[in-house]
Amino acid sequence: MARGFLKVLLAATLFVASASLAQARDQIKIVGSSTVFPFSSFVAEEFGATGKFKTPVVESTGTGGGFKLFTAGVGTQTPDISNASRRIKRSEFETAEQNGVTDISEALIGFDGIVVAQNKDAAPLNLTLQQLALAVLAEIPKDGKLIPNPYTSWDQISPDLPKRKIIVYGPPTSSGTRDAFEELVVEPVAHKLGGYEKGYKKIRQDNAYVPSGENDNLIVQKLTKDKEAVGVFGYSFYEENQDSLSVAKIESWTPNMDSIASGSYPISRSLYFYVKNAHYDKVPGLKEYVELFMSEKMIGDNGALKRIGLVPLPAAEREKARKKVLGRVKVTKEELK
Amino acid sequence: MTSQTITLVLVLGLLPLAAFGYRLGRNKWLAMSATPSPFVGSAGIFGWYVMLGALKPVLALNLLALVANMIDLFSLPGPILASISFVTATAGMAYALKAISPHFKAREAIETTIRRLLFVASLISIFTTIGIVVSILFEAIQFFRLVSIWDFITGTQWNPDDAVRPDGSIDSTLFGAVPLFAGTLMITFIAMTVAIPVGLFSAICMSEYASTLTRRIAKPTLEILAGIPTVVYGFFAAITVSPLVVQAAAFFGLEAEYTNALSPGLVMGIMIIPLVSSLADDVISAVPQNLREGSFALGAFPSETIKWVVLPAALPGIVSACLLAISRAVGETMIVVMAAGLQPVLSWNPLRGMTTVNVRIVDAFTGDQAFDSPETLSAFGLGLALLITTLCLNIVSLVVIRKFRQQYE
Amino acid sequence: MLHTDPQFYRRRLAKERLFRAISYTAIAVASVFLVFFFADIIGQSLTAFSQTEIRVPIHFTQEILDAPESAVDPEFAPLVSRGVLRLLPGELNANPRLLGTTREEWMLATAEVDQYLKGKPNRLKPRDIRTIERLQQEGRFRMAWNWGFLTRGDSKLPEMAGILAAAVGSVYVLLVTLAFSFPIGVMAAIYLEEFAPDNRFMQFIEVNINNLAAIPSILYGLLGLAIFIQFLGLPRSSSVVGGLTLGLMTLPVIIISTRTAIRAIPSSIREGALALGATRWQMVWDHILPLSLPGILTGTIIGLARAIGETAPLILVGMVAYIPQPASSFLEATSVLPAQIYTWASDSQRAFVERTAAGIIILLIVLLSMNALAIFLRSKYERKW
Repeated sequence: MARGFLKVLLAATLFVASASLAQARDQIKIVGSSTVFPFSSFVAEEFGATGKFKTPVVESTGTGGGFKLFTAGVGTQTPDISNASRRIKRSEFETAEQNGVTDISEALIGFDGIVVAQNKDAAPLNLTLQQLALAVLAEIPKDGKLIPNPYTSWDQISPDLPKRKIIVYGPPTSSGTRDAFEELVVEPVAHKLGGYEKGYKKIRQDNAYVPSGENDNLIVQKLTKDKEAVGVFGYSFYEENQDSLSVAKIESWTPNMDSIASGSYPISRSLYFYVKNAHYDKVPGLKEYVELFMSEKMIGDNGALKRIGLVPLPAAEREKARKKVLGRVKVTKEELK
Repeated sequence: MTSQTITLVLVLGLLPLAAFGYRLGRNKWLAMSATPSPFVGSAGIFGWYVMLGALKPVLALNLLALVANMIDLFSLPGPILASISFVTATAGMAYALKAISPHFKAREAIETTIRRLLFVASLISIFTTIGIVVSILFEAIQFFRLVSIWDFITGTQWNPDDAVRPDGSIDSTLFGAVPLFAGTLMITFIAMTVAIPVGLFSAICMSEYASTLTRRIAKPTLEILAGIPTVVYGFFAAITVSPLVVQAAAFFGLEAEYTNALSPGLVMGIMIIPLVSSLADDVISAVPQNLREGSFALGAFPSETIKWVVLPAALPGIVSACLLAISRAVGETMIVVMAAGLQPVLSWNPLRGMTTVNVRIVDAFTGDQAFDSPETLSAFGLGLALLITTLCLNIVSLVVIRKFRQQYE
Repeated sequence: MLHTDPQFYRRRLAKERLFRAISYTAIAVASVFLVFFFADIIGQSLTAFSQTEIRVPIHFTQEILDAPESAVDPEFAPLVSRGVLRLLPGELNANPRLLGTTREEWMLATAEVDQYLKGKPNRLKPRDIRTIERLQQEGRFRMAWNWGFLTRGDSKLPEMAGILAAAVGSVYVLLVTLAFSFPIGVMAAIYLEEFAPDNRFMQFIEVNINNLAAIPSILYGLLGLAIFIQFLGLPRSSSVVGGLTLGLMTLPVIIISTRTAIRAIPSSIREGALALGATRWQMVWDHILPLSLPGILTGTIIGLARAIGETAPLILVGMVAYIPQPASSFLEATSVLPAQIYTWASDSQRAFVERTAAGIIILLIVLLSMNALAIFLRSKYERKW
């Protein structure tokens, strides 16, 4: 029998392969940002545990990777939702349009603050954005030209800062936190100082700046051991480790839920997800999932978002965002950059 | 009707059809020949022949349809494909039935089919290689259009984030992969300083010194090491070994980073011990016994015999084993992803955090950057470098070991 | 004799002993590492197999439909796992007679409480710790055997997280890998050993297979991504894609071990069969395959064990994701054991560390029993010619 069986098996495999080309799906697929991932999977879990639908699959592909999959086309082959720690870029939206993904909605879901943390026992730090940027910039303008960053100690930057070696454990180049850090701290300061080319945002690569993954508990271990070092990472990660870490004030603002949500704390960024409106009638439960995601229980003042360490939007903003995505308002090319 | 039902119908429909063909062929032969000749084959062979005659064209047809579908040439709706399949199967069956005559050698005909099938199976390895090369090469070429190869190979600055200038042009000097290569080399080197001596001496011990009992215990022990998944080694390196290394370094007054290159290197070395020891064991046992006996007869101790007779004779094989071990270390991903850092630094200090080629590949696929960014494409450039390196190591190793085998077999 | 000088002899003997000691040390190093490794992992995992439960009264009121945490007294609310509280509205809906009743039952406590009672770092507020200490005296806590770890899928709540979905995924992936690589691998090996002409092309194939066995697994991930997902359009994260990718990776291992097994059969068997008028295929099917089967199976099991412990290529085909429900078909998204371990290992919640270690123990039990089976097959059925 073996011979015939093998052939049939082979034929069957080929068929399954071709069959799957046009396969229906009863499970929501979500990709995207690693910052939104914990929250998004929390909602997914809640959705699966309490409702009649299957638990959605959430994959942490990074914002860019998520958009790549998301914009590849419409249909059950592609993800329904992409989480993002930044807005979709115009170039990405254009790719989407080329691939037939024209009708997508955007949901602003909350904020993620970036904190400068240190050992609990270290003397409190109060930094300005400029001081922070000067500590990490690759080059510093001096006498009209750029020289490699000479600062090795905080008091060299400004006499009112403590005499402490500069060691910053910060996000690596591929991380979204790094993007936000560059955009919110490095770039504006470089622009203000002048003397740089337009859009300068290089971070030093010597011993003073050590790229470290944000999901890495090692960064906390390092900070608990080393009283001189500071770490740069998401607010949620700091909240997890409040017992061993303290935070630096930035521009006299202590990062907390209120200062981040109100925008007073200067280093924070917005989190989004994007949904394909064309998928609502193809994937069962998608509407219910989006509704649950945008509900007060999840992104509200005392919702799960907050428990996970992200920062909710102010109530009015929340209502606006909710209306926008549930009303399936299309994202247009003009509003993107 | 979903395509899955069609598949089911097709498979379930073809099976009885094939069985029916088997009976038809067998019966026709039985009816035809009162005295079957043993060199033509038994009656069952004719059944098989007809069955294959029915299935072969269906298989070809579906393969064709699949390929056509994939390259977007045309796509047949499922039900149509299924009905065509049944018609072809019947036609093929009829054709095969017709061919059966008293002197028809069904056995040879089947033999040819099987031989072809087996041949195709052995070709899959080639397709795999081509597939790997192609899947990496295309995107790698795109990457090297943006970034000069020379800068990539010789540049000492890896900072893809800053490489895209505000005007959209790309600063190719920030794609210098030397720090990544250096990290890979450093970790590989550390791994080898563990794996090669320990592996080699284990092999020597097991083949030359150990009692049967010791060997019986030691061999499976080493095999267990080989059976532990890399993700487990990674967890162990990151959670247990790294802090130990940091503490040990602090004890000696040195400063170590938690993502130091030493811990993944050490753990990777342990992981590779069984590879080295089993390959070395093979070649050491392949050294003819009479060489050893000659040496013992001259009054040499075992250690002297090993040093002056066995090892020199087995040297090519041992070199080949070491090359394979290096190739394995260079290609290992999970341990470095979990325990090594993300910092592209050039340093001789193994206590510093380093990053490797493989870490960057994984990072590029899970990071937050835009997908058309050169950083994502750089993963393929790095993949190409990785492929070429391991390819060279493997092939040199294979050539060397083949020379060795020819010498003694 | 030139070297009968006792001094010289003694030195030689000392060197001999040293060399011998070194070679034994090498084996000792490997064994000591193994012992340390297992002690460490088992030590870290032990606590994950028991889980704290808390006995609290549950009030079924109208409010719990909107806010399930209101079912327990506000004081207890931060101590009881959301994973069980969120199921209460469903229970009330299914059984409306419960409305207005109160019952007391053992419920899963949060991971923070669990970590506190296990003496590990936690994020409890001092107020909650005081509550816990009081409740402890009232005997409202107990440590229960953690069945949930084996019967539930992944969760964002460490106390709810289990290994089941990943284990089921591993089985699916294993089946695909087996169905793909076993027949093709054995067929290719048979061709190369019994049918292939000895020419340059065949030598090339041989070198190629040996080379494939040593190619880094992550490159197979790039291959799987390009071929199965982008070209064939198979669903991302599904066990078909993962299984085929690992199948390609396992293929050379199976081919090589099958060839070794076939080669070990003496040529007299082949000659005998051919002399009786069998064709080559009949010889292979009736004699070579049955005789080499133990060797083939051993190689296959070892290859498969390697495949299900593999993670790197699966990251690239999307299997490292949050997938809490066991898959019900080969095309559905699924996770696998090593991917689950990797996900937990990179989670920032500390309660996941012990889960990771426990997951590792499960994976190691599976892998080691597969390897033991292979060793058993080898020693029981292998024939020396």
